[in-house]
Amino acid sequence: MDLELDADQLELRDHARAFLADACPPSLVRGVYEGTGTADGLWKSMVDLGWPALGIDVADDGLGQGFIAEAVLVGELGRVVAPTPYLATVTQLAPMLAEAGAHDVLARIAAGTCTGTLAVHETTAKASRHITAQAIPIGGGRRVLDGTKTHVLDGATADEVAVVVRGGPDDERGLGIVLVPREAFDAEPLIVIDPTMPLATLHLDGIEVDADRVLIEPGSPEAGWRIGLVQAHATVAMAISCVATCRAILEATVEYAKQRHQFGRPIGSFQAIKHRLADLYLAVERADALAWYAACTIAEQDRSGHAPMAAHMAKAAAGDCQRLATRDGLQLHGGIGFTWENDLHFLLKRAVTTAFLFGDAASHRVQLAQCRGLEA
Amino acid sequence: MRLQFDDSVEAFRAELLEWLALNRPSAETMAADPSVSTGHAPEWARRWTRTMFDAGWLVPGWPPELGGRNATPTQTLVYLEELAKAGVPRTTNVQGLGIVAPSIIDYGSEAQIRDYAMRILRGEATACLGMSEPDAGSDLAALRTRAVRDGDHFVVDGQKVWTSGANYADFCFVFCRTDPDVPKHKGISILIVDMDSPGITVRPLPEIVHPEHPDLNEVFFDGVQVPADHLVGELNAGWAMANGSLAHERGMVWVSAVQGISEAMAHLHEEAPDRIDALPPDERALAIDRITQVEIDAFAARCLGYRAFAKLARGGSAPEQALMKLFTSETRQAVAEVAAALQGPDALVVGGASFDGHQAIDEPQGTWLEQYFVSFANTISAGTSEIQRTIIAERVLGLPREPRPA
Ligand SMILES: Cc1cc2nc3c(=O)[nH]c(=O)nc-3n(C[C@H](O)[C@H](O)[C@H](O)COP(=O)(O)OP(=O)(O)OC[C@H]3O[C@@H](n4cnc5c(N)ncnc54)[C@H](O)[C@@H]3O)c2cc1C
Repeated sequence: MDLELDADQLELRDHARAFLADACPPSLVRGVYEGTGTADGLWKSMVDLGWPALGIDVADDGLGQGFIAEAVLVGELGRVVAPTPYLATVTQLAPMLAEAGAHDVLARIAAGTCTGTLAVHETTAKASRHITAQAIPIGGGRRVLDGTKTHVLDGATADEVAVVVRGGPDDERGLGIVLVPREAFDAEPLIVIDPTMPLATLHLDGIEVDADRVLIEPGSPEAGWRIGLVQAHATVAMAISCVATCRAILEATVEYAKQRHQFGRPIGSFQAIKHRLADLYLAVERADALAWYAACTIAEQDRSGHAPMAAHMAKAAAGDCQRLATRDGLQLHGGIGFTWENDLHFLLKRAVTTAFLFGDAASHRVQLAQCRGLEA
Repeated sequence: MRLQFDDSVEAFRAELLEWLALNRPSAETMAADPSVSTGHAPEWARRWTRTMFDAGWLVPGWPPELGGRNATPTQTLVYLEELAKAGVPRTTNVQGLGIVAPSIIDYGSEAQIRDYAMRILRGEATACLGMSEPDAGSDLAALRTRAVRDGDHFVVDGQKVWTSGANYADFCFVFCRTDPDVPKHKGISILIVDMDSPGITVRPLPEIVHPEHPDLNEVFFDGVQVPADHLVGELNAGWAMANGSLAHERGMVWVSAVQGISEAMAHLHEEAPDRIDALPPDERALAIDRITQVEIDAFAARCLGYRAFAKLARGGSAPEQALMKLFTSETRQAVAEVAAALQGPDALVVGGASFDGHQAIDEPQGTWLEQYFVSFANTISAGTSEIQRTIIAERVLGLPREPRPA
């Protein structure tokens, strides 16, 4: 087992980091926060660099570099709080399309002409593990939708939305996936703490879906399992993103602790601060190691059943790490960290957002325990 | 970045496993004559060390004349993992094989290597490590045991404490003050002292559990004469060697620590369903969550180990080892604590748990509560958890050192 990036992946990381230092400075993030600018240009340059195509298979017009390369970019984007459709399009919709063999839309994603997202959550994030939205057959392979999805990342702007549904009103009917274009439904943007991660509520009642847009037939063999794998993929990407943001918080806080003097010495020379930062470092490393282990299970298309467990561990650890990073990152900056003017809060809010979407730490621990056969 | 080793590593593993199956001491042999101290090598342990030495399996990364086979770091990793899984200790004298012998090989004279290091490697002698003193624990450089040169001898006076295995060891690697007039780090030297030298008194210190088999000792030196050529390396250069010794200790100890954690976790998972059923329904979710938290820690320890290893193999820095020491020792403690708490008052019953000996492997032994208490050996010795946090902050994160009194 080798959990370090290889030379090519390191080169990709360094390239991405250098590119984003120019293309996504804190002033750009601030523009999005304050409504005075957009990040459209950033996404365009990312498309020009071929980033959306990177992890997509060559057969689907992608570059076939696999999930590790994709995850490297996810991490770099998370470090700089990049406001882009990358996470939702590439790590949520694309793997669903790949699992369903939806070549055409995948090719559009690879070409950068289509963005997308995955709609899982319902009503409240906490209740999201139970799916009630339905796609009821109306003949000729067509289905009509009934239900509402919430906290959908990029839900108001994505071109295509893959919706997790049930085959009918009956709980017994299995899960499936339908693909709905942006213009078909009503999206209600939510006012969120981190505007670089826009969320929306999608009202799906009465929308009719053609047979060719039923990506995974509800109740078809292994449908639930296949959807679970895609959710694991999206969850691991979210964990990678979260941990990368937490690492940026750690680095910013260590830097500040070296520079800020009180009582005639750098605050970072006080043991109370050293030990908190050592614990934060440990939490970041712990979450990072688990996230990359989980990334390997995705990249190697591990179907032994370990991928979902690895994803639960990764996301739970990312959540633990976020709790410390947000708390100590803000606390150790003192008053300056409490201000709107300082850029730290972009990182803090992004860390919380990625920790809470696709299941928080407690939720993933419960799911991991269930995989182990432990239920209360 | 991948989950599997390549074929050549797997071939190495297969060769090792085949050899182990044919040559290892059986569990019954080991249990029949347990090692009662880390300085005590029962007959089977001496033979086993010698067998491994002769076959080049004792320290695979070393050349054949030192009991190895020039194995790569990855092969060594696999070796340590398989030995831990098999439940066979490489030695019962951990500090001898892990610290003293490598330090003598790195810094000692030819005669010292021949008369001391090689005897450890061939299973003929055991060693203990005399660093800590009553007033020099975390602040090791404050040690006061004096060694004064007198002709062709040093005369040693002072006291060591927590000296593991000193009650059985053949010789001791003693850190002494040889120059009291310079800053404390600059006046320390290392001497090899035969434990049967006149003037040495060893007083065992029974431990928190299994007091009937003490491993810790106080060692008193009263005018002990040590031949001058037993000085290891340069005079007054002991501090740098101390850091070297500890680096030997920290190198890959995480491998067996991680294996011990996995085994403890597997036991916990075996017991968990019944224990949880026995709980009142409104306590179950909380208990499950505590188990799941340590399960994640246990798996993270393995992933972190592999990462630290990959960094080291690619020329990364040693301070990462502080992270492994801290995390594995605290995780081991947490697993035992969660498991003991899950047992409720049953955890208090210790009767019947047998003592398997100081087998120098991290295999869980005794009841959960006993394991919990024993786990503090690792959060305290070889640099406490607090000292590890300071090392991480200063050497990994680069935070400024605390202003130190002169
Ligand atoms: C099982 C076991 C085996 C051992 N084997 C050996 C051996 O073979 N040879 C040998 O030489 N020694 C051995 N030791 C000794 C061991 O190395 C020391 O116990 C250890 O270094 C701590 O020293 P101390 O016990 O004096 O505690 P102290 O240094 O007095 O520490 C007491 C507490 O204060 C904290 N503390 C101390 N300094 C600081 C600081 N600067 N910042 C924050 N907190 C601080 C410590 O973390 C600890 O919690 C062994 C110990 C144990 C438990």
